[in-house]
Amino acid sequence: MSNPFLKLDAASRRQFMLNTAKSALGVSVLSHFDALQAASEPAAKSGKAKAVIALYMGGGMTHIDTWDPKNGETKGFKDPLKTNANGIQLGGYMTKMAKQADKISIIRSMTSKNGAHGPGSYLMHTGYDERGTIIHPTLGSWAQHHLGRSHKTLPSSVTIGTGNTNAGFFPPSLAPIPISNPDGGLQNAKSTVDDSTFRTRLSLMGELDGGFREKFNVAPVKAYSEFYDETMKLLTSTDLEAFDLSKESADTQKLYGNGFGRSCMLARRLVQNGVRYVEVRMGGWDMHNDVDASMSKNGAAMDAGFAALLEDLQKTGLLATTMVVMFSEFGRTPRINENKGRDHFPKVFSTVFAGGGVKGGFVYGSSDADGKEPTDKPVTPQDFIATVGAGLGLPIEKVVFSPSGRPFTVGDKGKAVSEIFA
Amino acid sequence: MKPNQATLATLCCVLMGVSAAHAEDANSSRLWTDVKGRQLEASFVMLAGETITLQTKDGIPHNIPLASLSAADQQIAKTLKPAEGMPSVSGAAASTPSGKIDVLVAQGIMRANAGLAKDKKPAIKQNPLATDEQFVRRIYLDVTGRIPNYDETLAFLNNKSQNKRSELIDKLLASDGYTSHMYNYFADMLRIKDQVDNRLLKGLPYIKWLKDSIAENKGWDKMTYELMTANGKLWNNGAAGYLLRDAGMPLDNLSNTLSVFLGTDVACSQCHDHPFADWTQVQFYEMASFFGATTTKLNGKDFGGKDPSKKLLAEIDHLMEEQGVDQKAIKQKNRTISDLLKANEVVVHDVGENRMKLPHDYKYKDHNPNDPVAPKFITWAKADEKAPAYKQDLGSPEALRTSFAKWMTDKSNPRFAMTMANRLWARAMGVGVISTLTNIDDPTKSANPELLQHLANEMVRLNFNMKEFQRVIFNSQSYQREATTYEVAMGEPYFFQGPMLRRMSAEQAWDSYMTLVLGDQVDKIKNTQADVYGRSIDMDLENSTVQTLASKLTAMQNLGNIAKKQLGKGGLAAAGKKMQEDDEEEMEGGTVLQYGNMKLMRASELEQPSPAGHFLRDFGQSDRLITDGSAKDGSVPQVLVMMNGQAQKMMTEKDSLMFRNMAKAKSPADKIESIYLSIVNRRPTLREKGVLTKEVAAHGENAYANIIWALINTREFTFIQ
Repeated sequence: MSNPFLKLDAASRRQFMLNTAKSALGVSVLSHFDALQAASEPAAKSGKAKAVIALYMGGGMTHIDTWDPKNGETKGFKDPLKTNANGIQLGGYMTKMAKQADKISIIRSMTSKNGAHGPGSYLMHTGYDERGTIIHPTLGSWAQHHLGRSHKTLPSSVTIGTGNTNAGFFPPSLAPIPISNPDGGLQNAKSTVDDSTFRTRLSLMGELDGGFREKFNVAPVKAYSEFYDETMKLLTSTDLEAFDLSKESADTQKLYGNGFGRSCMLARRLVQNGVRYVEVRMGGWDMHNDVDASMSKNGAAMDAGFAALLEDLQKTGLLATTMVVMFSEFGRTPRINENKGRDHFPKVFSTVFAGGGVKGGFVYGSSDADGKEPTDKPVTPQDFIATVGAGLGLPIEKVVFSPSGRPFTVGDKGKAVSEIFA
Repeated sequence: MKPNQATLATLCCVLMGVSAAHAEDANSSRLWTDVKGRQLEASFVMLAGETITLQTKDGIPHNIPLASLSAADQQIAKTLKPAEGMPSVSGAAASTPSGKIDVLVAQGIMRANAGLAKDKKPAIKQNPLATDEQFVRRIYLDVTGRIPNYDETLAFLNNKSQNKRSELIDKLLASDGYTSHMYNYFADMLRIKDQVDNRLLKGLPYIKWLKDSIAENKGWDKMTYELMTANGKLWNNGAAGYLLRDAGMPLDNLSNTLSVFLGTDVACSQCHDHPFADWTQVQFYEMASFFGATTTKLNGKDFGGKDPSKKLLAEIDHLMEEQGVDQKAIKQKNRTISDLLKANEVVVHDVGENRMKLPHDYKYKDHNPNDPVAPKFITWAKADEKAPAYKQDLGSPEALRTSFAKWMTDKSNPRFAMTMANRLWARAMGVGVISTLTNIDDPTKSANPELLQHLANEMVRLNFNMKEFQRVIFNSQSYQREATTYEVAMGEPYFFQGPMLRRMSAEQAWDSYMTLVLGDQVDKIKNTQADVYGRSIDMDLENSTVQTLASKLTAMQNLGNIAKKQLGKGGLAAAGKKMQEDDEEEMEGGTVLQYGNMKLMRASELEQPSPAGHFLRDFGQSDRLITDGSAKDGSVPQVLVMMNGQAQKMMTEKDSLMFRNMAKAKSPADKIESIYLSIVNRRPTLREKGVLTKEVAAHGENAYANIIWALINTREFTFIQ
């Protein structure tokens, strides 16, 4: 049996590697023209974002207590709040965001088929169902693939918070750099010896390895040497300070507060310095028990951090080019359960967008009076990923082949919700 | 297609239509006459046993039986020297299994060169044979998954035996390191994880089954058969781990089965007809139908309509309430208890009914959605159906998996032997004859189809004995050549002029670090929890009481304590030393030392996979989500680990094994040599000695830590040449 696919495979593989090499090897290979060219062929209507801060609420964020408040029997424990945006109400715990509502677009008609944490989160991060045969990339890796690197020394995408990061079927160099603790900065960035010893060691390494590198002057070896150079450039440049929260003023530190707020502050700092895609992960949203207590603590922390971020982005002039997105794997049941909690609810939930060309004080789609069903303009996880991609100017319709020869797009052919863009 | 027949046919044509006009290369080209008096102008390539290889003017080599030549020419053939660049095999060596591979590789290169000459491109030359220093490092890494330690390196370099290479190959293939390294390979291929399904269901018994199977050198056909047909609870039959790995996702499991074991990538046709290849969605479901009667969970039917778990849970609730335990504690306890019970309900078995149906959204006209699907074997070529493998009695639903396993592992299955043969070749040479290991597609379209077919035949001839198969490869000159120093362009075929330069796998890098810290002990420290885990968790649900359950809970809680007990108290200084007499009694599997939060044992004995942020993961260990998911690319976090992480710090500590080895050397030059032999397994060059003597003069004792750091950070350390 002859398979014409193999030929295509080889070609697309080459193209794949070429694109990848550009985005992986960075400065020496990446031409700015390529990046511009890629950026100039975006989807129909898109945002103006140069960077994205994606706030992921792990565990399943209750939509009714946050972005889609209700007045009926599913209301929960607090009354909805009026906001500074005409006609928009928020959940009773969102006291600070109520004053930032004029900056946000809310999609209240998100709907997903997956009500389990792992697969649901995977779907909302990639736009694809979790499979045993391939790993799909997340948006930071997609962006680096399509647009190249966002900065000459800093990584193009960073994930703040615990958990895995990977580049999906792209090479590992496109994986987000993980930061487990915002105050700890980049892992292993500090040398275990003094500066002069470190330099001695580096120069010895170069000298002892010279013969080998000359003999094996091949791509995999050269790529390694570039990673060493790149890492050294990062370690020795002042850019590394992008990871150092102590450089922020006392006022800013105060504005953001502790916990989730500090992660948001680091995200802002990274974006300001040239990182394109920052995901901030916040846990604690799996509120099966006592949703009121959990929201008073966790919900309030999210409210404070998110509001501080928007305020700060505006103050620093970054809001126009930075899109902030808040999402979760699913919503939570409208009905309060016997433990005063809410359970998993993928049928309808909300996502929030702000900045980077997103309309302020805007709501797209709606759920019914009890928050049980999407009533209007349902938005799927695929649409959500496509929307963020479009906001960043990614060519979301462009088909990219995995090394195994399978075709993929940003958001699996989802339709971007262009109505949220101004 | 049988290549030999085809070659003979070509040659006959050449012999009959020959003219003696082109004698441009008088040195090597001459007129050959066969027994029938036909003549051929060709140059002599080599004589291997009873087969002579002649190269016609177009550059193509032809193998013909020596006996088909005239008696005079037969005599001449025996006096000629093999052509330049051919493997230096004598007649006898060429007829050994390893020699046969070398002949096929050399002929592949000749054919390639004929094509290159046409395009006026430079010819491919075979790489020179690797030096002893290169060989000892490579063979340890390839067979045992780690670099040789200082003593092992020296022992080989100083060995004067003629056969020292094949002796070392034999020794290493028989060592524990072989099992560890093969396990890592399979763990990556089969996506082995500690955590299966629910929290208390651990991969340990599956992992143990795999390691034991490798250690006893079970045939690949037998291993595969056991994986496909396993029944029962995981801890009673570790092989059940294969189907449990994808419990609830039988279609994904089948997709992986076809690509891993049969080199056939049909993932597309799981959801729709394959857009480019011939596979249809129905074909995929016909294959899936062989697993349509298989289930991984017990249900009411298996318990005669009863639910023993529910009954036990109710009893416990009642008991706890009676004793006034508070609500929260009940809930917490209940979760562990229900996990324990659920784990005991996970049992691979077949039911009396094949329930495989087409998907609800099936969109083609040939069938309706939700139609039942009967099992049917796929074929790759029309003639396949005639192979004995296809003569399977599909019988009762319970026998379906067995039929599938028999078909798959049959010697006449068109892909089974070839897929593993190609994999093991790729593992030794850095690239497969077909480079896409999970998608062989068309074997005749590879860089060297004759070699691929031969390797597949060898796998069959050796009865799927993977150790023997690798012994053949490792003993070949093709393997023992230097690594190729130039770049093979993406998509270009590779003709095996030597192994490709490869970066160490994450496991090879970690295990090499472990060798540097642990020395001899590195292969002795084992994770031995599988048996005690199985004993602790196993329950006969129907005949269990609350008391049984309570004792099981205690046993499960004890598992953690047993693991903790294996952790040793000594620091780095204890590594490489025998346990003292007065120490606590030696633990089964040895004492595990720690440095920082790193457990110092081989990757195969650590968590599967290691958690995010571990050296292994930063180095590209697979997260075990997809087949062959490991990576060999660099990354910034990885380089940061190499430069500033715990592992490098451990290596440069004064009480580490390397420093203790060094202490035996007297002069700085000897110390430097000791470091070189330990880390890059060769002696330093004069230039390197010069550089480093200066470094020692400048920084005194501190220089040695600098040298160690510099060497483990070189590309020479990380790449296998």
